Amino acid sequence: MEIKETLDCKGLSCPMPMMKLAKAMKALSSGEILEMLGTDPGTKSDIPNWCTKTGNELLESTNLEGGVTRMLIKKA
Amino acid sequence: MSESSKDNNVLVQLFRTFFGKHWPVWVGGIVLGTLNILLFAIKSPWGASGGINNWGENLYSGFGLFDLAEVVPVNMNLYGMLCLLIVIGSFAGALFSKEFAIRIPPKGELVKGFLGGGLMAIGATVGIGCTIGSFFSGVAALSGGAIIFTIGLFIGVIVALKYLLWEMEKFPKWSSGKSYTFLAAGPKKGNWQIIVGVIVVIAVGVMAYIYSGSNITMTWFVIIGGLMGLISQRSRFCIVKAFRDPFMSGESHGAVGVMAGLLVGLVGFTAIKMFGIGAGESGIRAIEMTWVFPHFWVKAIVGGVIFGLGMTIAGGCAVGTLWRVGEGQVKLWVAALAFLLISPLSKLFIVPSFEKLLPHTLNYKNYLPDYLGYGGAFLLVVLIILVWYVFVKWNERTGKFSAF
Repeated sequence: MEIKETLDCKGLSCPMPMMKLAKAMKALSSGEILEMLGTDPGTKSDIPNWCTKTGNELLESTNLEGGVTRMLIKKA
Repeated sequence: MSESSKDNNVLVQLFRTFFGKHWPVWVGGIVLGTLNILLFAIKSPWGASGGINNWGENLYSGFGLFDLAEVVPVNMNLYGMLCLLIVIGSFAGALFSKEFAIRIPPKGELVKGFLGGGLMAIGATVGIGCTIGSFFSGVAALSGGAIIFTIGLFIGVIVALKYLLWEMEKFPKWSSGKSYTFLAAGPKKGNWQIIVGVIVVIAVGVMAYIYSGSNITMTWFVIIGGLMGLISQRSRFCIVKAFRDPFMSGESHGAVGVMAGLLVGLVGFTAIKMFGIGAGESGIRAIEMTWVFPHFWVKAIVGGVIFGLGMTIAGGCAVGTLWRVGEGQVKLWVAALAFLLISPLSKLFIVPSFEKLLPHTLNYKNYLPDYLGYGGAFLLVVLIILVWYVFVKWNERTGKFSAF
């Protein structure tokens, strides 16, 4: 699985992670995968909801040490 | 398996239900709406900006500034304590779910936190209320001014969202750079957070008990404030999200959650007002006019717009700021600091100058049932919520008004 881009949103709170993610996804082509790292607990519900709405696929959501959530999102 | 370990599993399951993952926002909205009715039945409805203002006045009076010596101490002020307990309740909720961490964002975000908090303070003092007092409680209280304030909030949110999108395109570095996270838990670490959470809950219980001897109303405010903070944190109940997300990501979860709470509050408040429950010597009219502020319509619209700008830039409304303070978001610590520092100054210097410019006829208490009757006022608010609901759901499907 090739990760096309990593988006670092650590330290940012709502709505910045969501805004940055939407912008970054625009630049990807269909099927490409983005890795997002964030520390805002809100992203754990916001991003799955957004993926459901947009058709992008949330491949993985993992809690790492240090309060970081790693999400892998495949562009529809 | 022994009986006790079965019980233990049941309790662990219950704990995980509450703290394993986030609650749907509508669940939070309904419970918060119910607690809001309880606050009104006990004393008066939920408000946030007055409590934060009380913090600021105490800070200034502590330094002997601005002739604020007569200020009520925070521990004696119902709303000062309610706000404090929202922070503490959220802290407990974040600890139990191992979501607490001190999160320091890049510098540009801290600047936005301060600016947003300052604008919220000005908006709340000019508009007489915030997203809680003049929206979540004010609209439920059938105040015409609250509906105008809400329109102002929408305008402010849309303008500020345009700004944030522009800033992200033109100056992406403002929200990028070095960030720090401290005290975070992880999948294998951080069980200390749950232990601290238990200590915090016990401390709140002790605090409520201490007040019960002399001030039983405060006991209830302490308990309800703590619950409100915890529920807001678990459901991520945030009014800026409700107003902003349909125009940003197009999502409606936050908006529907707020609508659910508003509807519950509306039913309870209408009953309390119609029957004059708890009117006592003050009379039914005093109950009817509770949370109907003299801001119809100029102060409401101006205050609403400024507050809407501020909460969108800060990334948290009055209550959204407070519970994010409790879960360790330093941007919102800065926003809350600006709110409490600027609110008393705005009351002293900005509001009087603004009021001088306006005739009384542009700032009065507008109680909708005086014009429409209780049935008409109730139906009007229900209709507004219904139109809002249809709009956010249609927009979620079509994306007509969402930025991405």
